[in-house]
Amino acid sequence: MRDRSGPTNGISIVGAWLVLVLLLLASIGAGQLFHGAPWLPFAIAAIVWVKGTLIARYFIEANHAHPFIQWALRVFIAFVPAFLLLTAWLGERLARWTTL
Amino acid sequence: MGLNDTLALGAGTGHGLLLHPGLPAPDTSSAHRRIPGNKGIWVGITCVFVEFAVLFTVYFIARAHFPEAFEAGHTQLSLMAGTAITMLLLTSSLFIALSVNAIRSGDRRTSIAWLIGGLMLALGYPLVKYLEFRWNLAHGIRGDSGIFFTVYYYLTLTHLAHGFWGILGILWVLTRNIVGAYDASEYSGLEALASYWHVTDMIWLIIFSLCYVLV
Repeated sequence: MRDRSGPTNGISIVGAWLVLVLLLLASIGAGQLFHGAPWLPFAIAAIVWVKGTLIARYFIEANHAHPFIQWALRVFIAFVPAFLLLTAWLGERLARWTTL
Repeated sequence: MGLNDTLALGAGTGHGLLLHPGLPAPDTSSAHRRIPGNKGIWVGITCVFVEFAVLFTVYFIARAHFPEAFEAGHTQLSLMAGTAITMLLLTSSLFIALSVNAIRSGDRRTSIAWLIGGLMLALGYPLVKYLEFRWNLAHGIRGDSGIFFTVYYYLTLTHLAHGFWGILGILWVLTRNIVGAYDASEYSGLEALASYWHVTDMIWLIIFSLCYVLV
């Protein structure tokens, strides 16, 4: 009998997919219901980060990967949420800094 | 202790590390040095990360300069098309992850079946995107309709190009899987494609949040 276990098994992959679908629906709902709310960018930033982390952890199996891959994924996944928070807090200042 | 009690780490390159419960914990420095797929694909994926980091930076700078244009722009896009693409890519990614899981267990037929399912869903992406762009043009949404739409088109078209590469990759590994190139001891090509496709999926989730949901 062959070994059916692995770094990530089928059930946890399907579970991660279900959570990703729920987060997709949550982000659409939040965008529609709370459009313009000052806290919305923070909520979306958190959702984007969780989605990226789930894909890295359960689909790419980053927790078993080489440290360079782990760090590349961590930095990329944190990049957009960090920029979202930066624009929400310091949008006007960012515009001034980037004016030619 | 049966093989089912064994946790296999490091498979995919023929150099899997087998860990038995009860044995001393492994040297984490070696257990955590696995490369999903192969080095080449991760060089490519790192380049994709840099490419999209630059594109997202442009998005945020444009948004900081023209918040009203971004506020007004996203409401004109088809949320249904964006949601459909997200579901297609997420589910395609799931099927390809299950394909890797199946080949890891030595079940090549199931692996091929999941790959075909993943390919069918992946092909839905350019189809829905084509319909969305047609809908956009019918509603006067073009690349020169404003800063938001310029950013939206370059982000989504660049992503679509990566989607095409991924679809070609799925076709390639599907063919190799059918001719028996992969088994439980060597499936690095399939896993490399899976890594690329998961990253493509991850980037779409970000684009969806930035262009269709948030602002």
